[in-house]
Amino acid sequence: MNCKQLETLVAACADGEVDALRSYSVKRHLHACAGCAAMHRNILALRARIRSEVTYFAAPPALQARVRATVGAMRAAAPPRSSPRSDRWRWLTGGVLAGCTASVFAWMLGTTVLAWHADEELAGAAVAAHVRATLGDHLIEVASSDRHTVKPWLSARLDYSPPVQDLANEGFTLIGGRLDYLERRPVATLVYRHGKHTIDVFVRPETSRASTQAPRAVRGFNVAHASGPSMDWLAVSDAEPAELSAFVQRLAHEGISQ
Amino acid sequence: MSDPTQFEELVLPHLNAAYNLARWLTRDVNDAEDVVQDACVRALKYVGSLDGSDARPWFLTIVRHAFYDWCKRNRPAEMARDDGTAIDMAVDPAAVDPEQALLRTAESKALSDAVEALPLAYREVLILRELEELSYKEIARIADIPIGTVMSRLARARGLLQRSPLLRAVN
Repeated sequence: MNCKQLETLVAACADGEVDALRSYSVKRHLHACAGCAAMHRNILALRARIRSEVTYFAAPPALQARVRATVGAMRAAAPPRSSPRSDRWRWLTGGVLAGCTASVFAWMLGTTVLAWHADEELAGAAVAAHVRATLGDHLIEVASSDRHTVKPWLSARLDYSPPVQDLANEGFTLIGGRLDYLERRPVATLVYRHGKHTIDVFVRPETSRASTQAPRAVRGFNVAHASGPSMDWLAVSDAEPAELSAFVQRLAHEGISQ
Repeated sequence: MSDPTQFEELVLPHLNAAYNLARWLTRDVNDAEDVVQDACVRALKYVGSLDGSDARPWFLTIVRHAFYDWCKRNRPAEMARDDGTAIDMAVDPAAVDPEQALLRTAESKALSDAVEALPLAYREVLILRELEELSYKEIARIADIPIGTVMSRLARARGLLQRSPLLRAVN
């Protein structure tokens, strides 16, 4: 190693940054090399001069007072604290609580999103079923405005008996029913006429998803939902969403009394 | 936690170190007070993150940040002079009034003046090393530079001091 390479090592040695083993070899070099020894001496001499001649400025009393005033103001603003130990516990429990809250919130958010997704999927499937039925010749399998004909026909083909109402006096005329397929299950489908609109109402035994949702639009069709204590109504039509929603609520309400 | 008690116990004992660094960086007593006051407000806010680490280098890091923010607002020219490798000039001309330097007769004044005249990047590592007696590692963390840079700046600072015309005039 030449002196040029040793320069930084000599300085590091003077700064006490070199481990004992390398420090030993540097010191051996200093004995042999006048140049490096002078450099080492100069660093130590400069340090001695700096420490004796260059002022170490102490914070003036005015600054200390200023800082203490700031701290005092902070303390006044902060709520009183107990000992550091209980503080730690408080932070720990606080952390645990925050963690729990976050988990619950995430779970709720997750289930809400999942439910929303499922609803979205169901609405899409219902619209698809409605479109398939109206496109083909499959809209009505049992053509009757008599609920006493439609209901037994459906009951005979399903493992449940859907409530069937005719609300002709309110402008919703029952024109028949069919079997359709939703969420991997056969479902009773009632077909109503409202003015020039056809309305499909899927009636299913109550699913776990509850609550009445606002009508939503899927590919230009409106989907309205209502649920009663034992059944679930899902109406699909190109009729007005508000009308459709009122209609399906009415069915659900009537369904309870049946 | 922004805990005034923790600040008083851990940080306040290093107020002198903070002021000393700020004074050598700003080269002015009033500016140094402003920088330290600002640093204290910041330290109060973040004292919760201090857990376990050494308070003095931590506080000095904050002082240094407070200084550079202050410098950006008040002396942008000094920072511009200090960037990159352009710091080859031996003396920061803004630092020393030559007439005053002549009036100063004491030797100790000469060395202080020479330190004040060092470019900012060299001055800060020298103060942290020789007055605060911090290790290369701590200085590297405070100044946010690699250890190799700490070493080279320190060597440069020492070289500049030893060759300083302010010192030579006295010697």
